Amino acid sequence: MAKREDPRLEDESTFDEVSRRVQEVAGDAPHLARIAIEAMVRNHNPDLKGTADSAGRVGLRSGKVAELTVVARLKPGGAERLQRIFDLTNGNMDGAQRVSTLHDMRFVFLDDNTRVLFATAYDGDWDAYINDFATKIPELMDFLFQNAEGWPGIDSPEVKDFIAARQIDAAAWFVANPQVTVVDVRRMQRTEHALDDFLDAMSGRRDLDPHTAEALKTLTDAISQPEGVDY
Amino acid sequence: MGVLGDLAQRFRRERVELDLEDIQGLVLRSRPEPYVGVHAMVRVVNAAGGRQLLARLPDRIQSAQGWTDDLGAWMGVALSYEGLRALGLPEQSLKSFPLPFQQGMAARAQQLHDVGVNAPENWDEPFTPGNLHIAISIYAEDDESLEEALATAMEELNAVEGVSLLATHRFGVDEEAKNPFGFRDSISQPSIAGSGVDPQPGQERALAAGEFILGENSETGRPLAVPEPAALGQNGTYVVLRKFISRVGGFNDYVASQTSDAEAQHKLAAKMFGRWRSGAPLVLTPDHDDETLGADPERNNDFSFSDDPKGVLCPHSSHLRRLNPRDSQLTIMTDVNIHRIIRRSSTFGPTWTPDVTSSDDAEQDRGLYFIFISARAFDTIEFMQQEWINGGNFVDLGSERDPVVGIHEDDDGSFTIPAEPARHRINGITTFNRMAGGEYLFMPSLTALRWIGAHGWA
Repeated sequence: MAKREDPRLEDESTFDEVSRRVQEVAGDAPHLARIAIEAMVRNHNPDLKGTADSAGRVGLRSGKVAELTVVARLKPGGAERLQRIFDLTNGNMDGAQRVSTLHDMRFVFLDDNTRVLFATAYDGDWDAYINDFATKIPELMDFLFQNAEGWPGIDSPEVKDFIAARQIDAAAWFVANPQVTVVDVRRMQRTEHALDDFLDAMSGRRDLDPHTAEALKTLTDAISQPEGVDY
Repeated sequence: MGVLGDLAQRFRRERVELDLEDIQGLVLRSRPEPYVGVHAMVRVVNAAGGRQLLARLPDRIQSAQGWTDDLGAWMGVALSYEGLRALGLPEQSLKSFPLPFQQGMAARAQQLHDVGVNAPENWDEPFTPGNLHIAISIYAEDDESLEEALATAMEELNAVEGVSLLATHRFGVDEEAKNPFGFRDSISQPSIAGSGVDPQPGQERALAAGEFILGENSETGRPLAVPEPAALGQNGTYVVLRKFISRVGGFNDYVASQTSDAEAQHKLAAKMFGRWRSGAPLVLTPDHDDETLGADPERNNDFSFSDDPKGVLCPHSSHLRRLNPRDSQLTIMTDVNIHRIIRRSSTFGPTWTPDVTSSDDAEQDRGLYFIFISARAFDTIEFMQQEWINGGNFVDLGSERDPVVGIHEDDDGSFTIPAEPARHRINGITTFNRMAGGEYLFMPSLTALRWIGAHGWA
């Protein structure tokens, strides 16, 4: 795992370091304290609850979502080849989408196109589906990542070590909906459409038996008032 | 006829492509019905003594050469990473094993979701991390054959110095081969390409042998990583061993609390497992049990989920459908063929009755050793624990967990039973199977046992 060390602080004496840290913390204190206290006193709805766990080997997890950030050295011309793939597909990676655990993916070229940063937020555990990639979409995985120096191939036993060695934990990470997976979102969209159709069918009905009318009113009460987004 | 007889009839020597003489028979050979047996857990006190034991064992272990033949008893042996270290294997070999194996099962608790009551600090003594070095299992068709095989194994153990017997655990069931909850189990087993037994018409295709035998081509078209040197790794495989204490009374009480009569209890339990107690699959007989179907190895596994896309016959969340979704539509891109396992579980404790209640759970030891074999065993169990057992995302059920083997905080488990006009959902499910220990093991070839026994790297 890559470490985050700022080379500019190498020559700082212990005294300087202590003074700097005290000043930094003191300056930030009122603002930090307010954020921390707000977080503590808020009575969280379990549906919104995030966590700051480890996502297995490397990376952070919040609720059901985890983050993965990899920085890898590119082979000469690798950035150009990748860019051609992205242009051709317009960023739309069929296959990668079929995985259905990826919330997003981004590729960023760094250092004069000699390195690539790959970042994604995904559902579940770190390497649960890597073996499935190797038999279901091996061409796509290799097509994308063979431009990285040392890529062992998606079906190689080394592939997990390759990724873990280049992965960097996020210093901080925020997830708006930590308890909702990509699959959940799709179901919620389907449910909303079906619910709308159902409410259309029920709207204005005066002939319902009392139990049905009661259940319908409970449903309506739960969804009829606009709510701000609470984190 | 039973499972073994069925396999014997279908075995064709000319179709064999595997090196059966080098593979331990237990890998391919199913349990008999009824079965009895014993697991013995051994610790290596000094390397030379341990190697001496391994050198003697190959003569006592049946190879897979005659894996469908009649046998009274057979023995298998597997080693933990700490066992391999205690036997003095060279560093280069040790580090050629998969990382989870090197770490051992207890260290993988996070990946395995072995938390709360299932956490390693609550495991039984022989499973204290690093304790178990050599696991020896004997399966037999009757007590007489078992005693004979056990006496032979004990002779070998006593003949060498430098190994100590940590524990033995006997198990066994009657001809109905039922698990602690009264269900016939280990029915579905994968067909393995090149083993000499082809799948029957209608059965799923044979899987690439490398999914189960190291060195053979896997479903990727290439072999998985093989431990080095080849004499050690080739023709070996991996074993996951997990001991469960079953809260049979807790399960009975729960099912009774959700239903009105005995018939409804059987049906709800069947919905949770995916089969009736006889072994008859819900898909083939959704409304009532069918004992003849359940006992017929030619028919009791001959089904798919193609006619049950909504799970009305067999719930998506049932234990059987979760752990072997077959052709079910899953929400997440999954290759079901790389998550198959050869099941060798063994049940211990009294036979199930509906009268067992929670108060009996503390008094009687009931449960099973969940044992399976796969060349991807560690990835597979971690995948299952994360995705298929302790979650519902892959079948569009959010956080719902397996109703039988899932781990639940207190009683926060739910189980969704698809039905018309609206699904039925039951709540209050607790942890019905508590983890009591386990280990990641390597089941070497006979060549490898001899290689270790002869100090082949010296």
